[in-house]
Amino acid sequence: MSLVHRPFRGRPRRSDGDRPPLSLTHRAAAAALALSLAGCASVSPDGGERDVQALVARNPIVGDAAPRRAPDDASRQAVDALLAQPLDAQAAVRIALAHGPRMQEAFATLQLSDADRAQAASLPNPVFAFGRLREGRELELDRALSFNVLGLLTLPWQARWAGQRHEVAKLQAAQSVLQLAADTRRAWVRAVAAQQAVVYLRDGQAAAEAGADLAHRMARVGNWSALQRTREQLLLADASAQLARAEQNALASREQLTRLMGLTSAQSAYRLPDRLPPLPVSMPTLTDVQASALRDRLDVRAAQAQAAATADSLGLTQATRFVDALEIGAVRNTTFSNDADGGRSTQRGVELALPIPLFDWGLARNARAEALYGQSAARVRATGLLAASESREAYGGWRSAWDVAHRYQTEVLPLRQKVNDEMLLRYNGMLSSVWELLAETRASMLAVNAAMDAQRDFWLADTDLQLALTGSSPAGLNALQTSGDSVATNPAGAH
Amino acid sequence: MDRRHFFTGAATAVAAASVSRVALAALPDAHTQSSTATAAPLLPPDGRPYNPVVTLNGWTLPWRMNGNVKEFHLVAEPVVREMAPGFKVNMWGYNGQSPGPTIEVVEGDRVRIFVTNRLPEHTTVHWHGQRLPNGMDGVGGITQPHIPPGKTFAYEFVARRPGTFMYHPHADEMTQMAMGMMGFWVTHPKARHPLIAEVQRDFCFLLGSFDVEPGSATPKVNTMTDFNTWAFNSRVFPGIDSLNVRRGDRVRIRVGNLTMTNHPIHVHGHEFEVTGTDGGPVPKTARWPEVTTDIAVGQMRQVEFIADEEGDWALHCHKSHHTMGPMGHEVPTMIGVDHRGIAEKIQKLVPDYMVMGDKGMADMGAMEMPLPDNTLPMMAGQGPFGPAEMGGMFTLLKVRRDQRPGDYRDPGWFKHPAGTVAREVPGDSAPPAASPATPPATGSPDATVRRPAGHGGHAH
Ligand SMILES: [Cu+2]
Repeated sequence: MSLVHRPFRGRPRRSDGDRPPLSLTHRAAAAALALSLAGCASVSPDGGERDVQALVARNPIVGDAAPRRAPDDASRQAVDALLAQPLDAQAAVRIALAHGPRMQEAFATLQLSDADRAQAASLPNPVFAFGRLREGRELELDRALSFNVLGLLTLPWQARWAGQRHEVAKLQAAQSVLQLAADTRRAWVRAVAAQQAVVYLRDGQAAAEAGADLAHRMARVGNWSALQRTREQLLLADASAQLARAEQNALASREQLTRLMGLTSAQSAYRLPDRLPPLPVSMPTLTDVQASALRDRLDVRAAQAQAAATADSLGLTQATRFVDALEIGAVRNTTFSNDADGGRSTQRGVELALPIPLFDWGLARNARAEALYGQSAARVRATGLLAASESREAYGGWRSAWDVAHRYQTEVLPLRQKVNDEMLLRYNGMLSSVWELLAETRASMLAVNAAMDAQRDFWLADTDLQLALTGSSPAGLNALQTSGDSVATNPAGAH
Repeated sequence: MDRRHFFTGAATAVAAASVSRVALAALPDAHTQSSTATAAPLLPPDGRPYNPVVTLNGWTLPWRMNGNVKEFHLVAEPVVREMAPGFKVNMWGYNGQSPGPTIEVVEGDRVRIFVTNRLPEHTTVHWHGQRLPNGMDGVGGITQPHIPPGKTFAYEFVARRPGTFMYHPHADEMTQMAMGMMGFWVTHPKARHPLIAEVQRDFCFLLGSFDVEPGSATPKVNTMTDFNTWAFNSRVFPGIDSLNVRRGDRVRIRVGNLTMTNHPIHVHGHEFEVTGTDGGPVPKTARWPEVTTDIAVGQMRQVEFIADEEGDWALHCHKSHHTMGPMGHEVPTMIGVDHRGIAEKIQKLVPDYMVMGDKGMADMGAMEMPLPDNTLPMMAGQGPFGPAEMGGMFTLLKVRRDQRPGDYRDPGWFKHPAGTVAREVPGDSAPPAASPATPPATGSPDATVRRPAGHGGHAH
């Protein structure tokens, strides 16, 4: 029996170098080692928490927040302490990573992968078969203890491969952490901006209200017609509708943040700061955004790791191409004649069950493996292209968002203020009326709102940029996960 | 008024020629004026003698005698006219100012006027009211080619009849007159004239209107009716000099109207007669006493009276918006509107907001609030008793017993003899000031008279 592994045409190099294919004898030795280690294959005690923490540590989106598998008393207390203060973006991220339901889900997924890994690293159980046959007076007891040799031989391979897949799972869990942190940061930015908008629109509404009140009094003493008065009332109605919409938006964006942080209604009375952080004073220049994205992004690393794992699994497929159920067993048959002398005879032997590659030459399985490898290689390429393109897009978006917000702050708002000042001078000179003054005030509120929108958009773009450069696709993990499923759920060996 | 000019004399009141003598060797000096003060009368150094006029906030153009011809040099050019202290307007004028210098000649003088065009577009000069050869009438395209930018044209004619005249462009008039191109012309009689009296003071000014957007400096030339700056000789009160005379002087005031509406010019404390129009002296039988004379568009009037009442007498256009500075004509009337509770609300949004106009517009005259740059308050000027609440076409005729002949200096405020100033009636018999009316319960406007709440307590 010579089941020498034949090199697979076009087989890629494994990450650990260009090792020659192992012969079965080597594998037997490895199997022996695996046997001795079998008892050690166990699930990780912290559910991968530390590993994921290490992967996301020092990422700018996460900052000093640590993803937690499940809240404990200490982290609950920390959350309560954070909620007692006006909640800044970093605090929101810390709460979401310690407390958010999505965090727990990500860790649960990681644990599944860990369990698979542990499973793969465990020895297959031996099979004991027992048969009791009677013929006339003759009784035959067949006992066979058989063991799946192939499983044993491929165990190190399986274990290594499962380990690789688990590494991929960790990278994916780390991406989930970054996504959650980014989503939380975005939600925080939206909630603060929406709350700020309400304040300004309330001023706008107050201006409209003053105008409408005064218009009413003008009409009452005969200085104005119903038409003029009604026009001012219309402005008030419009301003009130705008305010109501803004209030609803503030509520919705706050609830979004509350959900991401996993807070109960009792905890949802937290306070947000009055305003967004100021813009950075100048735009830093990133020399090569694509390079840093390709180097640092976790989805790129995950795709690469997955491709390596798939490549590794091809070796296994190749090895088991013909024999996917080699069984060896010890057989002991005892025959009881049940006649007067009570004679019995015992047969001992070895049984080897080996499927004959008559119909299944393993071609289909091999083709599948090759396709899977092609798929994962394509995914590495796609992820790389995505990362490079997204990093360029995010950097461009960040720059233009900074430009717009900066322009609002340094040009639009000062000019708007200047218009107000000039309008007040005109009012002073009885060159314009108080309604024109109030209309300018309302226009100012809207300009301030537009400036705040620009500032909000900048911070959203900033989060997108951090994510695109150091974490994952800002568009989310979905694309990656759906295509990754086929590998994750269909190991090549198909045992 | 700049006193310096009255002592230094007219000859030095004008600056030296600014036009290169080399380039214009054949031309008379183009005198230019940088001051807006009323220059002292220019006593004729040569030619036929006459009794000169005083141009309000203006000056008379010196000439040179070339043989028996009086030669003047007008330069049409962009200028900056200070219409009141701190209020400067980009205009087009002549020889450094708008209006241009007054041209004074004597009946029968042969006059040659060189006109140099330093405007960005062509121009002409029309000699409003003169008898002259048709080709000297200055209607661009009709009686002469336009004067292109950079070119000098000469007009020559005999000042055939005495009287009060004007000069102004007759090319792109809408723009050039809206930009301030105009000037006065007086032809004095060569001998005693039965219908032209000898006077001790002879003042002249042109009525002009401009539309200067508050905070800007260039008139809007397309405006036709809604002007906001009404001027005597391109000056607005309180920037207009007063007409200072000695009690008992016979005073002549010549007024020309180059705006697009009529102006009823009104003098306080005296009655006058209109003694002349652009058509010449008015027959004595056609004169009647008046205190106001309406000067229609494009017309001139000369009025005369004996200034026999001492005091500071108002002299102004009687259209009340014409004695105001810029105002918002779209500003609604706020009178009687209760601001309680609302003012505070607005102040929260506009911290410097103050309620104005709820009792009338006089707030404007009393309050000194910051205005847009280069903008006159709607009402301005302070008198000895408080705010004058005036602007635009308003000045004072100051009659003093001790004003020396030929002295045109401002004598200051009138010192009223004791007991001759309107006074407060002592005691509490006067009703208190009107308070905002109590609004009626219904939504319909209360169109009844809102009486002030008298001490009888019957508000309505
Ligand atoms: Cu008028």
